[in-house]
Amino acid sequence: FSPTQKFPQAEFSPYQNTNYEWNPIGSGIMWNAYNFPVFLLSESSTLTLQEAATKNEKSKKAYTADVAEFDLVMQTTKAGTHDSESCLKERTCLPLGGYSVWSSLPPINFSSPDQSKPVILTVASMDSASFFRDKSLGADSPISGLISLLAAVDALSHVDGLDDLTKQLVFIVFTGEAWGYLGSRRFLHELDLQSDAVSGLNKSSIEMVIEIGSIGKGLNQGVNEFYAHTAGATSATNDTLDALKRAQDSLKSEHIISSTANASNPGIPPSSLMAFLRKNSLTSGVVLEDFNSVFSNKFYHSHLDDMSNINSSAIVAAASLVARTLYILASDNKNLSSSALTAINVNVSLVQALMGCLLDCDPGLSCELVKNYISPTNTCPSHYVGVIQDEPSSTPYLGYVDDVSRFLWNFLADRTSVPRENSSSTCAKGCRNKGEVCVRAETDGKGVCVISTTRYVPAYSTRLKFDSGDWIVLPPNSSDPMGMVDPVWTESNWNAIGLRVYEVQNATYDRLVLLGGIALTVLAYLAIVFTQAFITKALKRD
Amino acid sequence: MTIAAGIGYALIALGPSLSLFISAISKKPFLILTVLSSTLLWLISLIVLSALWRVFLPLNSTTWWPYGLLLFTSIAFQEGLRLLFWKVYKRLEDLLDAFADKVSKPRLFLTDKMQISLAGGLGHGVAHAVFFCLSLLTPAFGPATYFVDRCSQIPFFLVSAIIALAFVMIHTFSMVIAFNGYAEGNKVDQIFVPSVHFAAGLVTLVNFASGGCIVSIPLLYFIAILTLLHCGKMVWRRLAENRSTQGTQE
Repeated sequence: FSPTQKFPQAEFSPYQNTNYEWNPIGSGIMWNAYNFPVFLLSESSTLTLQEAATKNEKSKKAYTADVAEFDLVMQTTKAGTHDSESCLKERTCLPLGGYSVWSSLPPINFSSPDQSKPVILTVASMDSASFFRDKSLGADSPISGLISLLAAVDALSHVDGLDDLTKQLVFIVFTGEAWGYLGSRRFLHELDLQSDAVSGLNKSSIEMVIEIGSIGKGLNQGVNEFYAHTAGATSATNDTLDALKRAQDSLKSEHIISSTANASNPGIPPSSLMAFLRKNSLTSGVVLEDFNSVFSNKFYHSHLDDMSNINSSAIVAAASLVARTLYILASDNKNLSSSALTAINVNVSLVQALMGCLLDCDPGLSCELVKNYISPTNTCPSHYVGVIQDEPSSTPYLGYVDDVSRFLWNFLADRTSVPRENSSSTCAKGCRNKGEVCVRAETDGKGVCVISTTRYVPAYSTRLKFDSGDWIVLPPNSSDPMGMVDPVWTESNWNAIGLRVYEVQNATYDRLVLLGGIALTVLAYLAIVFTQAFITKALKRD
Repeated sequence: MTIAAGIGYALIALGPSLSLFISAISKKPFLILTVLSSTLLWLISLIVLSALWRVFLPLNSTTWWPYGLLLFTSIAFQEGLRLLFWKVYKRLEDLLDAFADKVSKPRLFLTDKMQISLAGGLGHGVAHAVFFCLSLLTPAFGPATYFVDRCSQIPFFLVSAIIALAFVMIHTFSMVIAFNGYAEGNKVDQIFVPSVHFAAGLVTLVNFASGGCIVSIPLLYFIAILTLLHCGKMVWRRLAENRSTQGTQE
C-alpha cells in the first residue's frame, strides 16, 4: 500500500547507510516507468467497468463487445522529448515546483538594524506524492505536521510579550519536498543569495531547526507518543530536548509522551532537515515524528493516506507540545513562569476545521476558514506540488500560486500580524508602508494591511534556471551536492484526460447492414420499375 | 454507430422511398410538389399534436394505456387531416380539369390521379421515417452501438429503421387506397385506411414488453404487406374497370 521506496529519497540523506528501511512495506512501484496509462476509478466507475467486463464474459452475441477508450495525450510523448532537459527546451513540459511560505512571529522589526536575534526555525511541509497525481492527500505524511504547525502558531499568537522573547520564532512550510526536497533546497539557496524572498533572515542567525513531520498517528491506546529524532549532539539540540521534556511535563494531564528516538537509527528519517544537514552538517535540528525506527504510516505516499489514517487528538497533542517547547526555547529560561506556559493552549476546533478543509472534499477548500482568506479554485484539496508556471519570484502572480500556499500565506500573515493603529480600507494595490502586507486580498472585503513578515519563497530545483521564458537545466555542480543527485522532475503538458467505456459492433456486422440497405434500395427500385412496366403494358393491352 | 452502419440504417428506412421517388416521381414536377406539401402537412400535424399534448408530457407511466391514448388521439387527428388533404386535392383536381378543358388538353387520367395519391402517401411516409428514424441516427455517429434492454437481440437503430420502413409502406399505399375510397365513395376502403393506421400504431405498443419487438415487427410487416396487396388489388380493379369503360366509350 505504499508505492514508494523502502528509504524514500535516500539519495538526499546526509548519512551513508541508505539501505536502512524506514518504510519496509514500500514497493517502489511509483518510481518505475510504464508504457501504459493507469487510471484510478471512483467507486461508481469501478462498478460500471466491472459490469462491462462481466457482460463481455457472459455475452452470447459474438458481434458486440464492450471496449474502453482513453483520451490521454501527453505532449512530451507526442513530441518525442523523453527526458526533462529536452522537454524543457521544447517547452512540452514544466518543472515541478510551487511556493513555500514563511512567516515570523512576531514580525521582524526592520527599522532597528542592530536587532538580529537568533532564529528558531520551525519547519513543516505541505506536499505529498502518490501513484496517482490528483489523489495525494498525505494526511499523516505530511499534512498532520502542517496542521500542528498552524495550530501551534495560532496558540503562540495569543501569548503576551512576544517582543520580549530572546529568540526570534520563524515558521516555514515547504512544498515540493516529496519530489527531491525542492522547497528546502531552494530556500537554503535563496538564503545564500540573500534574495528578496528571505529578506530579514540571515543564514548564520538560524540557531535551531525543529521539524514537525508525520505526527498524526501518535495516538496509541489513549496516549500520544512522539519521538524526537536529533541531528548533531550540540548544546542547541540538548536544549531542545530539555524544552520538550519541560513542555511534556507542563502538559501532564493530556497523556503526551515525547521521547528521543532510538540511538540505533542511522540518523534522521526522510525529512526536510536532511537538506539542511547536507548543506551544513553542523546544523542543529530535531524532527518530531510519531514513529521511532520505522514509519508507523502504512500508507506513506499512497492515495490511501487520508483522514481516516490520522487522529485529531494526536495533532492537538503535537501542536501543544511544539508550541510550549518553542516558547520555552525562545524565552531562553528568562522569567519563565509556569502560568505563562499553561496559558498556551491549542484550539481544538481549529485543528478539526483545518482537517476538514485540507483533508476532505466536504467541506474541502470551500470551508469557512479557507474562504475567509482566499477564493479557492478547487473544493477538493490535493497536495501534489504541481508545476511552477512563469518566472519564480518572491512576489508571484497569485493566479499561479496554488490554493493551499495562498491560504497558508494569508493564515500565517493574519496570525503573526500586529494590527495597525488606523486599519484603513482596501489594499488591492499593496500596502504603502514597508513591513506591511495585504491579508485577505482575494475576498470580498478586498483586504486589509497588517504589519507582518510573511513571504512566498519559490520552490524548484536548484538545477533549474528561468531565463527569459525558458527553463534551463544547469549542469551538475560539485558545490551543490544535492543538485547532483536531483533527477529534476518535470510534468508533461496535457489537455484533457478521459476514459470512455461503450459497446461496439463488429465491423462485419456494420458492413452487412450497409449491404442490406443498398440491396433493399436496389430491389425496391427493380420492383417498382417492373410494376410500372407491367401496368403500362396492361394499359396498352386493348 | 459507425458511418457505414449509419448509411445502412438510413437506406433500410428510406432506400425504397428513394427508389420510388427516382423512378416514379422525379420526372413529374407536380408530383414532387405533392410530396413536399404532403410532408409539410404531416409535420404540421405533429407540431399541432405536440402542442396539444405538451401539458401531459412526459408520460412517466409504466402502464401502456396513456401511450395508447396518445397514439389514438394522434392517429385520429392525422386521419382527419387526411380527409382535409383529400378535400383540398379534390378542389385542385377540379381546377386542373377546368384548366385542361380551357386549353383543350386531356383531363387527368386515372393513372395520374393514382400517382398523385401515391406521391401524397410517399410524403407522409418519408416524413415519418425522417422524424422517427433519421433524427435518431444523425446525433448517434461514433464508434459505439446501442441495444435496448427490451429488444436486446437487435441494435436499437436497426429496429427503428425496420419499423420506419414498415410505416413508409403503410403510409404510401394507404393514401392511394384512401383517395380512391373517397373518390368512389367506397366505404370499405374508407374504413380500411384508418383501421390499418390504428392497428399499426397499437402494434408498436407491443414493443413495451420485454422481447416485444420480436412479435411486433412481424405483425407490422404483416399489416404493411396487407396494405400493399389491398392497394394492388384495388389498382388492378380500377384499371380494369377503366379500360372496359374506355373500351365501351371508344
